[in-house]
Amino acid sequence: MASLKIDKKPVAVPQPKKLSLMKKVKRDWQLLLILLPGLIFYIIFRYGPMYGMVIAFKDYNVYKGIINSPWVGLKHFRNFFTDPAFIKLFRNTFMLGIYNLFFTFPFPILFAILLNEVRNIKFKKAVQTASYLPSFLSIVIISSMVIDFLSPSNGIINNIIAFLGMEKIYFMIRPEWFRTVYVASEVWARMGFDAILFIAAITGIDQALYEAAELDGCGRLKKMWYITIPSILPTIATLFILKSGSVFRIGFEKVLLLYNPATYEVADIFATYVYRKGFEDMNYSYAAAVGLFESIVALTMLLITNAISKKLSEQSIW
Amino acid sequence: MKKKKWTLFDYVNTLIMLLVLLITLYPFIYVVSVSLSDSSYILQNKITFYPRGINLKAYKMIFESPKIPKAYLNTIIYTVVGTTINVFLTAITAYPLAKKDLVGKKIWMTMIIITMFFSGGIIPSFIIVQRLGMIDTIWAIVIPNAIWTYELIITKSFYESLPNSLYESAVIDGASEFRILFQIFIPLSKASLASITLFYVMGHWNSFFIPMIYLNDMKKYPLQIILRDMLIFDTARRSESLGEYAALTPEALKNATIVVSILPILALYPFMQKYFVKGVMLGSIKG
Repeated sequence: MASLKIDKKPVAVPQPKKLSLMKKVKRDWQLLLILLPGLIFYIIFRYGPMYGMVIAFKDYNVYKGIINSPWVGLKHFRNFFTDPAFIKLFRNTFMLGIYNLFFTFPFPILFAILLNEVRNIKFKKAVQTASYLPSFLSIVIISSMVIDFLSPSNGIINNIIAFLGMEKIYFMIRPEWFRTVYVASEVWARMGFDAILFIAAITGIDQALYEAAELDGCGRLKKMWYITIPSILPTIATLFILKSGSVFRIGFEKVLLLYNPATYEVADIFATYVYRKGFEDMNYSYAAAVGLFESIVALTMLLITNAISKKLSEQSIW
Repeated sequence: MKKKKWTLFDYVNTLIMLLVLLITLYPFIYVVSVSLSDSSYILQNKITFYPRGINLKAYKMIFESPKIPKAYLNTIIYTVVGTTINVFLTAITAYPLAKKDLVGKKIWMTMIIITMFFSGGIIPSFIIVQRLGMIDTIWAIVIPNAIWTYELIITKSFYESLPNSLYESAVIDGASEFRILFQIFIPLSKASLASITLFYVMGHWNSFFIPMIYLNDMKKYPLQIILRDMLIFDTARRSESLGEYAALTPEALKNATIVVSILPILALYPFMQKYFVKGVMLGSIKG
């Protein structure tokens, strides 16, 4: 061993680390030039708005611009925290996010597991292909389908309810139905798409495991329980952590399309409130303050879940 | 494999899968049926699984309407221009970032990744776009989201997976970085670029919030905004601008417009499917 070391010494190994910064820049100038347009994009359209957040501490005036608008300190935050809407928004955002997480998460897993048990390959393929068809639809179309299908005058759901002899339900104007409607439509729209990863994970399971289990006399359900589910558990755990980190980032576009003043009390979330305050009331600074608060809460959520996951499973998103 | 007898489980499972199939496909069947049906049947709630009194009136109305063809054209323009910019910028920006010893790589990557977890929010973004004078122009639609960080990282990982010897031999042959990127890396990444293209196309085609906040001029509206006005606002309120539809927005027209708007995507579906699944999978291995 020692002789090897000595042999190595005289050989002149090129040492890239010793290049000075200027030399590196000179060496990489072509690469930097290629990177430049992308960097400019990030600086203007991603970091620009971050700088623009200072208007949350100002009274933004369109004519004065960001820099010249007067500072007002924490005025907008004080107004927001003392507004009764604050608690309501916090609750609504959190509840909708939690409901959404817990109901949209299990369905793709269940679907993937059951799909895997389908014997006929063609049927299996057909079901899977159909299952991600809804993810090609726009939010506008999904929302309009939801409204149409739930309509009390001619929606199929209410027709069925009427057929069963029950009273028709005005789903879209009933606050108690909002979360259910939102989450159910989310399940419909996303199940096939979200199942793709689980289906792939199941496909990756070693077939020998199943064969061994069969020799031991395991039935289908037992094989699912003792082989399929444990095998995809790491995938499930990782995705669950990822999703729970973004529990505060609700697809607010759909809320915007599905809610109305009758359901504001449960449907109004931070993002929709920001939208109304900013674009309808033109109260940019106040809306930006609410938006900033929301961003911070969402980021904190993400950091907490990531820290927990690091502790539990050594899985981290970075 | 030997054939096994169907057990109770198989029957139940098949039933569940048929139910999934029905729930997934039914809205499509219904929308197409209504779009082709005669209004008298629609008003009587008689359409469930197939059209009655088949006619193409609703589709004729779409072509005669003053707004829908224009909006359709706008959507096509935004999608083509937007996707071209997206894919070009993503494909080139990912290239230097895939180089192991790029100067300042850590700084650039950190700067880019941060934006996945924290953003300035819609109001400051709107103000930036407004300050740049982009409101009511196509640029407000195609520039502020020119790169999706997620797709950028997927592309970068793909470049990294290409064999390093390719790069080295090109360097020895004296090729410039530009040539290596455009003549070696991009052609070799066709499959991967196809799947990010698909996601960008769908993003533009279905986009509604961005045009809603950045466009005021009705002549520039894309299809999704018209759809929202017709499908959702129509029932909620009847403002002046919507009066024209409100007067004649029969269910058949609404549904025909939905059909027309998803037709290009459905037509491409069989071809895009494999890239779609691939795109999802590529995303999952990035970590």
